[in-house]
Amino acid sequence: MTNPIYLDNAATTAVDPRVVAAMLECLGPSGDYANPSSVGHAPGRRARARVEQARAEVAALVGADPAQVVFTSGATEADNLAILGAARFYRERGRHLVTSRTEHPAVLDACRQLEREGYAVTYLKPGPDGIVEPAQVEAALRADTLLVALMHVNNEIGVAQDVGAVGRLCRDRGVLLHVDAAQSAGKLPLDVERDCIDLLALTAHKVHGPKGVGALCVRREPRLGLVPLLYGGGQEHGLRSGTLPTHQIVGLGAAYRIAAAEMQADAARIGALRERLWQGLAALPGTELNGHATRRAPGILSVTFDGVEGESLLQSLPGLCVSSGSACATTSAAPSYVLRALGRSDRLAQSTLRLSLGRFSTAAEVDCAIETIAAAVARLRAIAPGRQA
Amino acid sequence: MTADDPRYAEEVCRRMASLAGAGRLGPATDVIVGRAGDREQGAEVVLYFRVESGRVAEARFEAFGCPHFTAAASWLTDRLGGAGRAELAGWDWREAAAALEVPAAKFGRLLTLQDAVRNAAGNWSGSTASTV
Repeated sequence: MTNPIYLDNAATTAVDPRVVAAMLECLGPSGDYANPSSVGHAPGRRARARVEQARAEVAALVGADPAQVVFTSGATEADNLAILGAARFYRERGRHLVTSRTEHPAVLDACRQLEREGYAVTYLKPGPDGIVEPAQVEAALRADTLLVALMHVNNEIGVAQDVGAVGRLCRDRGVLLHVDAAQSAGKLPLDVERDCIDLLALTAHKVHGPKGVGALCVRREPRLGLVPLLYGGGQEHGLRSGTLPTHQIVGLGAAYRIAAAEMQADAARIGALRERLWQGLAALPGTELNGHATRRAPGILSVTFDGVEGESLLQSLPGLCVSSGSACATTSAAPSYVLRALGRSDRLAQSTLRLSLGRFSTAAEVDCAIETIAAAVARLRAIAPGRQA
Repeated sequence: MTADDPRYAEEVCRRMASLAGAGRLGPATDVIVGRAGDREQGAEVVLYFRVESGRVAEARFEAFGCPHFTAAASWLTDRLGGAGRAELAGWDWREAAAALEVPAAKFGRLLTLQDAVRNAAGNWSGSTASTV
């Protein structure tokens, strides 16, 4: 059986072989496997040097100082540390947060936890194109607003928010801005200084790095306080206790170094592939793009196929790795809350596929995907009640 | 359940691959139709039965829904071949649930199928006049 065509890079990506090679240097008896906190011996110092090199590589990608980078297990932990940590540290300053309805659950569930702790949260509704306008954020700010949490690129529809405009607005009003950049780091330019971002959540596995590692960039000037989620050895300035996983962190650093060097070329090539995919699918009747047509990350495409049930479409595409518009196709047909927030009906949300391209996607794969999806859509529409005879 | 996708039984995959029984029977005096469901609710089905000598001689389906629902509609077109009006009127969705190993979360979809079968039975008059 041939390998299926992988078009689910927004879920996770294959690790780049160059990243694998860098990680392997930190594993095994001859590798730099020592605990990077054990600086009393040479192997520990070598591991520490690798960790600090990775820290610099992460910082460089997002215009930060290496001292701002706190390693975590991924973007979910970084989002939680940022939102819960800042809200709890500054609870005497204010107890109101602003976010959007289309955030990742790592942000929404952290906000809901704060609501249980007595905080108030305003959930902004994006426009039909998925964009949250800075004016909406401005209108939602209150005297007691502590933090705004807004994702850079949406994981389901690929729409990119103007975090720079929101950042400058928040900075003027003395409100903290947290940005979830899990889907954008290494794919779109980001600069925490230019964009006035106080907290930035990052992950490795969306950009051809390993799963299980990420980072939170924390503003240093003026120094921003956070209450940690984990207690223990006091690593990462006490913000994230736990032995630093050298090989994972090196993988994150290598993935970001490669992304920084190849971002422009990758974005152009992947963006062209996405356009080729969209043009192919748009030729089918009853097909609609979700989200803003141009303000988007290069690799993510969300397409609604009217008249086709999403789970059946997905089941009819065994040769393609794609995602449906359902929150969980395994046990329930709950439609995507992101698509619903854009005004899509439940039925249309359930008739949606997310296709996401990555560094290793090819034009041949895109063409095959178009052909396969077109055939499956036609076949399912042909058996649906109410079709024209 | 299949080895490569534990969500679906082999019979569901086989039915989705073949879509056996899919299609419609044109209006005729010996054709009865049963409908149920609503596309907006995620499941809609139309069942067509051609009746000869008081028995189902041929069955077809049209469906909009998840793989379990569509496969069950296909399975029904085989299962109800030769059935009489009383069997249609008393058909129970649990039979399809067992045959296709349908998960509990999808039982509601099978009730829609049962509604369509019983709707067809209700449309089965003595003269088997078409309701199309």
